[in-house]
Amino acid sequence: MTVDAHTARDAELVQLLTPEGERLEHPDYPLSLSDQQLRELYRDLVLVRALDVESVALTRRGELGLWPSLLGQEAAQIGSGRALGPGDMVFPTYREHAVAYCRGLPWLNILRLFRGVNHAGWDPKEFGFHLYTIVIGSQTLHATGYAMGMQHDARTIAEQGETAVGDATLAYFGDGATSQGDVNEAFVFAAVYNAPIVFFCQNNQWAISEPLERQTRIPLYRRAQGFGFPGVRVDGNDVLACLAVTRRALDRARTGEGPSLIEAFTYRMGAHTTTDDPTRYRHSDELEAWKLKDPIARVKAYLSRTGLANKAFFEEVDVQVAEAAVELRAACLALPDPPPEAMFQHVYAAPHRLLQEEQAAYETYLAGFHD
Amino acid sequence: MVKYFNLPDVGEGLTEADIVRWHVAPGDTVEVNQTIVEIETAKAIVELPSPFAGTVRELLAEEGQTVDVGAPIIGVEEAGAEAPAAPPAQSTSVEGGAQPARTPVLVGYGVKPGATQRRPRKGSPAPGRPGGGPARPSGPRQPEPPDRQGDGLAARLGRAEAATGRALAKPPVRKLAKDLGVDLTTVVGTGPRGSVTRDDVRAAMAAPAPEKPSAAPAPPPGTRETEAAPTASGGERVPVKGVRRAMAAAMVSSAFTAPHVTEFLQVDVTRTVRMVEKLRGYPEYRETRFSPMLLAARALVLALRRHPMANAAWTERDGHAEIVVPEHVNLGIAVATDRGLLVPNVKRADTLPLPELAGALADLAERARAGKATPDDLAGGTVTLTNVGVFGVDAGTPILTPGETAILAVGAIRDLPWVHKGKVKPRKVATLALSFDHRVLDGAQGSAVLRDVGGLLEDPFHLLARS
Amino acid sequence: MTEVTAPQAPSREVGAQTLTLAKALNAGLRRAMEDDPKVVLMGEDIGKLGGVFRVTDGLQRDFGEGRVIDTPLAESGIVGTAIGMALRGYRPVCEIQFDGFVFPAADQIITQLAKMRLRSLGSVNLPVVVRIPCGGGIGAVEHHSESPEAYFAHTAGLRVVACSNPVDAYWMIQQAIACPDPVIFFEPKRRYWDKALVDPDVPAAPMGDALVVREGTDATLLAYGPMVKTCLEAAEADDRSLEVVDLRSLSPLDTEVLYASVRKTGRCVVVHEAPVFGGLGGEIAARITEACFYHLEAPVLRVGGFATPYPASRLEDHYLPDLDRILDAVDRTCAW
Repeated sequence: MTVDAHTARDAELVQLLTPEGERLEHPDYPLSLSDQQLRELYRDLVLVRALDVESVALTRRGELGLWPSLLGQEAAQIGSGRALGPGDMVFPTYREHAVAYCRGLPWLNILRLFRGVNHAGWDPKEFGFHLYTIVIGSQTLHATGYAMGMQHDARTIAEQGETAVGDATLAYFGDGATSQGDVNEAFVFAAVYNAPIVFFCQNNQWAISEPLERQTRIPLYRRAQGFGFPGVRVDGNDVLACLAVTRRALDRARTGEGPSLIEAFTYRMGAHTTTDDPTRYRHSDELEAWKLKDPIARVKAYLSRTGLANKAFFEEVDVQVAEAAVELRAACLALPDPPPEAMFQHVYAAPHRLLQEEQAAYETYLAGFHD
Repeated sequence: MVKYFNLPDVGEGLTEADIVRWHVAPGDTVEVNQTIVEIETAKAIVELPSPFAGTVRELLAEEGQTVDVGAPIIGVEEAGAEAPAAPPAQSTSVEGGAQPARTPVLVGYGVKPGATQRRPRKGSPAPGRPGGGPARPSGPRQPEPPDRQGDGLAARLGRAEAATGRALAKPPVRKLAKDLGVDLTTVVGTGPRGSVTRDDVRAAMAAPAPEKPSAAPAPPPGTRETEAAPTASGGERVPVKGVRRAMAAAMVSSAFTAPHVTEFLQVDVTRTVRMVEKLRGYPEYRETRFSPMLLAARALVLALRRHPMANAAWTERDGHAEIVVPEHVNLGIAVATDRGLLVPNVKRADTLPLPELAGALADLAERARAGKATPDDLAGGTVTLTNVGVFGVDAGTPILTPGETAILAVGAIRDLPWVHKGKVKPRKVATLALSFDHRVLDGAQGSAVLRDVGGLLEDPFHLLARS
Repeated sequence: MTEVTAPQAPSREVGAQTLTLAKALNAGLRRAMEDDPKVVLMGEDIGKLGGVFRVTDGLQRDFGEGRVIDTPLAESGIVGTAIGMALRGYRPVCEIQFDGFVFPAADQIITQLAKMRLRSLGSVNLPVVVRIPCGGGIGAVEHHSESPEAYFAHTAGLRVVACSNPVDAYWMIQQAIACPDPVIFFEPKRRYWDKALVDPDVPAAPMGDALVVREGTDATLLAYGPMVKTCLEAAEADDRSLEVVDLRSLSPLDTEVLYASVRKTGRCVVVHEAPVFGGLGGEIAARITEACFYHLEAPVLRVGGFATPYPASRLEDHYLPDLDRILDAVDRTCAW
């Protein structure tokens, strides 16, 4: 028997904040946040949406070569990103701009990649946030190996009679990636080694033009069962639920209970990337339906209705966000192109005969021009 | 006959095993696949089945003994077989360890030992190394010239190369020729497929002067060497300096800047020869040195009048190229001197009547040979004529004098059977070779110049008409 | 802090020992693991079994399951998780069971392992070694005899080396592990049982160096991995004076050693088991032609596998370069 991947019963969906802004309790996922924390989540959501919109605009102006928009997935990313601890490690795809933001990675670093200045270029260790991975699903294996390393570290520390700090790895991927061999291999490795990892699948319903039915016949979170670890579906447009569910899964990983799969049920409100045209393959009524589940509107409704935030707060956020967008735009335009020798740098750690030869020859060649 | 069973690699890649217990003794009858022995490898105890049916003749290993994989452990006289054979030798029929003995590597049949000598090949009646190494029982095929090789690649390359008209030579020979200033296209190769060898290049460099005609392949004018005739061993080194050095540099510069094309035309010059003889017979021209070369010079000058571009010069300055077409023909002649090749020129040769041209040419050659050519004699040429016939050869591919567009080489005049007026008759025949700068002249233009010269020499009365 | 009392067999031999190539690798791995606790081994059947070629024999017993990791049967998973381990600070050594099984891992090797350092602008190193038993001549079933080195040599960001004898095996595996860059490490499986005296106190040349293993003047034979021995046998059987160079490093090439040899002999034959077309021999021939043009008495010739998939084992003797085919090429180059 199969279950339609789209229409899992609501009972399976963990939700703490309805689209109308009504706060729900869930027996397995209690969540207690201060008023300040709730307001900050709102600020995060609004800010990353604004920076994303600005990044799309920069692409339209020819300042970026490509931009994969996160529009509609802010809650899934902010909720899971804010669940992380400082020692945790994130392995993103190429759309986790809001998670990067949560990890303190300046947005400009991501623009460098999509502007073509470099291929990522940040230090994963510095931010606990690995390089973007473009080939679908490969990073889930890196995340699993990293988690195996964490596990080995902890074991070594324990053997020395000390108490290890439980760190965990959080691997992001999309619904399309679940068809990849690497993702399934990662599930196997994580399961058999009981690795401290959380697999966070943002099911945004579309892998470019291919709908979820082309990837699965059962709800994705149920796949975990076959690999031997728990899976849960969360309302991916509910920042509170995403936070609570991810926290719980990370705690499991930290305490040696092994991997989990989270399916954040969400929707890609924009195109796959700026080069895509979703009107060719999906209906606008689907989009309209998801607009009613907007991840930011429900937080704003909740904050307003409960009086946790007033008009002045919302205005202040809007001003701050607009300034951040202007700042980002200016910084992007000021990005210099890399010098030719940058091509040869960092390929190898140790000296490499061929590369040195080729670099020297090319520099001599370049030096032969007047300009 | 007795068959021997060698201790097999039982699939775990072990090199040896211990005999634990024999299940049979000499004299016992065994069936195929009957257990005959238990062996212990480092991994497991394994029962080995008999590959033969018959009577056990002998056991070749004792219980507790460690045996190498591949060693015979039992001899079985096969049912119905004859007298016992000798104990296991290389030639004895064996089962078990594969032949030739393979080294197990845990997976697959194992590794065969590498060969230590070559297998004999067909078509190598006299084994031995090229150049007369010691003979061997199974030596290599006699190395063949590359064009005899089965793959034919070398042959194809060789033919393709030859078809371009470029010299065949190995890279080190090319380097040597370049260093010595020898134009490979003018060297007759004696190597495989007519390729030029190092010795050919050295010989060309050290060839005798034109005044001493030689049967040896003629080097180009630019490579003649007179100061040091080659010794038989060719062991002499000849310093390159002065005129020769300048000549070498000029030739190399020309060869590598102007894309040369050389065309050939065989011409019946019987009438030209007769005309020269006739002119020589007139008393008033007793002092004038008439020769076929003189008429060739005249013909060239006249042809240039029709084809002024062949008298032009390609110039480049600051990246801008121009073709400069002079008003007159300054006719250069290649003169072999003791110090090397010189190309002095007769100024305004197109304005001189035949006797004056003859005088000017003779005078110029004289001065050049005597080392008295003036800088003015040597500068400003617009075209060059060279006589390779004097070396006894039919043709060459002359290299342009730098800055000029054409050079005409006239080969030896020979008596050849020739179709004349519909019948084969002995005629005086010479080969003309015209090299030209393909930047200035295209093939049609170059050919027209050559045809024009040839026509004038075939029918020299036109020299008169067009004067 | 408690003392770790894992039972450990002595690995630093007292003085030199005669070892098979497989055992030399084992000793090299052991020494690397002793020297650096971050070295971990990953692969299929490498634990209790000790690997199908026993290269890791006894290491799990002595270093534990945490450092000699029997993995699920998934090559991409092995290399992918090794990358993650390396990001965490480990130095994983992956065993790919057979050459023909490396292709499921090709994406992780080519797309991820090779490029990640550049992509991070040097902020992460990936000291991952991928060990691949390679080549044929053992009478195996299909996919067990291939020579995929050119695919990896073609990939910038990787280093590719091949050992040919026990001494190099012992040292080069340690050098590969110590190398901060990813190394694809080819082991000639038909030479696993070849023996030589290995002295743990006398280091071999750096793994990036090519070595002249037999001096000669008439022609140069260039080979690596399993073909080095075959070339030495061919040189021994021939009356001409043949120089044999063991490339050892396939990427980058130690070109100066090759050039020096060819400039001396003027003739060169490159020998590998991999198909000639698109193989390393072509790259080597092109470079030699460019660098040694005026020293070449003949074109650089290549001897290698045909443009066929690796044949069934009872045909492999025809596919693999052997003494006769190598000397046939020497005949041809000398006749030029």
